[in-house]
Amino acid sequence: MAISRDEQKLKGIMARLFRVDPDLITEDTSSETIAGWDSLRHMDLVTALEEAFGIEFTDEQILELLNYRLIKLVLKEHGVEFG
Amino acid sequence: MNARNRSVSSSESIALADVNEFIAAYEASPRFGESEVRFSILRNFTVDGIDLFLKYRCYQAHVTPTISIGSYDTIIQEVMDKTSHVHASAPDVIILALLLETFAPDSTSPTWSADETQAELERLFSLIGTESQALVAVNTFIPPLHPESGLICRAGRRDKASEVAKLNQFIRSYVRERPDRFLLLDWERLALTLGAEGTFDSRFWFMYKSPFKKSFLDLYAQELAKIAKALRGMTKKCLVLDCDNTLWGGVLGEEGLHGIKLDRHTYPGNVFYAFQQNVLNLADRGVLLALCSKNNEDEVWEVLNQHPACLLKKKHLASWRVNWQDKATNISELARELNLGLDSFVFIDDNPTECDLVRTLLPEVTVLTVPQRLYTYPPILWEDGLFDAITASREDDQRSAMYGQERLRSLEQAKFDSMEQFLASLEISISVHEATAGELPRMAQLTQKTNQFNLTTKRYTEAQIQYFASDPSMAIISLGVQDRFGDSGLTGVLIARHIGESCLIDTFLLSCRVIGKSIEMAFLRRGLELLKARWGPVQFIGEYIPSRKNGQVAQFWNQAGFTECAHAAESDSRLYTTAPGYPGPSPISHIRVED
Repeated sequence: MAISRDEQKLKGIMARLFRVDPDLITEDTSSETIAGWDSLRHMDLVTALEEAFGIEFTDEQILELLNYRLIKLVLKEHGVEFG
Repeated sequence: MNARNRSVSSSESIALADVNEFIAAYEASPRFGESEVRFSILRNFTVDGIDLFLKYRCYQAHVTPTISIGSYDTIIQEVMDKTSHVHASAPDVIILALLLETFAPDSTSPTWSADETQAELERLFSLIGTESQALVAVNTFIPPLHPESGLICRAGRRDKASEVAKLNQFIRSYVRERPDRFLLLDWERLALTLGAEGTFDSRFWFMYKSPFKKSFLDLYAQELAKIAKALRGMTKKCLVLDCDNTLWGGVLGEEGLHGIKLDRHTYPGNVFYAFQQNVLNLADRGVLLALCSKNNEDEVWEVLNQHPACLLKKKHLASWRVNWQDKATNISELARELNLGLDSFVFIDDNPTECDLVRTLLPEVTVLTVPQRLYTYPPILWEDGLFDAITASREDDQRSAMYGQERLRSLEQAKFDSMEQFLASLEISISVHEATAGELPRMAQLTQKTNQFNLTTKRYTEAQIQYFASDPSMAIISLGVQDRFGDSGLTGVLIARHIGESCLIDTFLLSCRVIGKSIEMAFLRRGLELLKARWGPVQFIGEYIPSRKNGQVAQFWNQAGFTECAHAAESDSRLYTTAPGYPGPSPISHIRVED
């Protein structure tokens, strides 16, 4: 199943920020499973996602970006399509 | 990526993704002999974003930073503990990053007074200064955004803005009195540059105690990178200036002393005046100044000596090359003469071609171009901290910069090959034809305005030019020039007169704009072909009438393959002729000729 452009973009951002292989990112990938995902990186993630998708998260949404599945859900609320 | 010549304005917003990409690419590429600078950051707030931007800005300057960041708010402990990272990492610079809210928690209270905070600051500075040998960089505090008492300053009440100002005043004096140990990182100025929006991240402050936006951290990192560069002796030592449209508006050779734009009050002269003020500020700091310009020397001195608004004087100059030689050679000569490495030079010119030439042939020189938006011009010298020096440089100040004779020789050989390539890369094409009716007014104007590349300096009115055009024994040939950068328009005039078996060249001139790329020879070559086509195999006669301003063309006819045949002693004017079968000047390979 072909991966959508936006999903590729998202994986690319996370891969670069957390220094992981994008192909190893699964629905459950979270701050528990990735060593480098601390609060500082979380802020970088927020900034990177806002820049890349041209959106602004609410404060609640920032706290909801807990794993890959949830990130996609929040992004969908902002009109991002994941095919 | 040669980022050395690229200046990024502080208000340009940086995308995190691009920063990460740049860093990854830079770290993956082979680097040799790069300077290293060690930073140790003592902080009382979440400053970790600085890491990324510090690497980004240092890498752009070809310096590799090593960064150790202390724990959240344990500054004094870290300073006192000899085994802590502060000492163990043997830093070159200790950065003390202090947020007022954390350093003085009661600064948010209306009764807060700066006095006790100031005393604590002084104790802290003194402690760090004693316990370490490194340079210490401290920040000023950012004044409050909102006035506590609204419109009114209430008598008898402390006001936070004044208290912060007091603290900042103390910090500035403290640093000023210790120039060999302390440096100032003026957050107040950075916040002024970016505004509240670009400085404070209220969202992340409340959520993660991270107070600053990326744009502020980036600007902060730029200041730190300036320190790194200065520490490693990368400070520029000499500013080389072009003259026309750089030190003043307009072309001196065409407008004359009173026609150039240089004025204290009126636009655009006042922009150049402000620029000159900044140039003198650099001179005052010990930066060497030099001129590199295509002008007649005495005309330039006339401006410096006599123009009422010219602040720059000959006495400010370490040296100059005011001639018609290419600027890369000139700057190389200046480097030799001043005993400085080419990497100590900054060159500024308004002409993109000249800038490109120097950038290509002398890549170590930092090249600045006068911006299109002239009102942004004066502060260009402050960009990137090019000339910022640290008084007590840890580097050997004797950075020997002498180029060996061999190096120069091979440089010149390489320069020749590159010069040809460079000229070819300009994609110059010229159009040479008998002037159309519509071109005649411009032809007349050129005869009136052109002083320097003008063989006979004969001035003609439009009426006279019209008359010539209608006379079958005369020819008026125009030159149009285009290159990769655009169309220079009509920039050359050839007026010829048919007399029996001869053809006298009454006028041959080129506008300043197109000198120095052998265009004159290509123009002459094609022009003579057209004349031969019209009048058959004539003998050409060239004339040279010396003037105050056309010294550079004294040898022109010789260079074109003509032979001198007459010389009038009183006027010093000369006549030159061609031999039968004269083939014309050699074709110029980098110039394309159209009809």
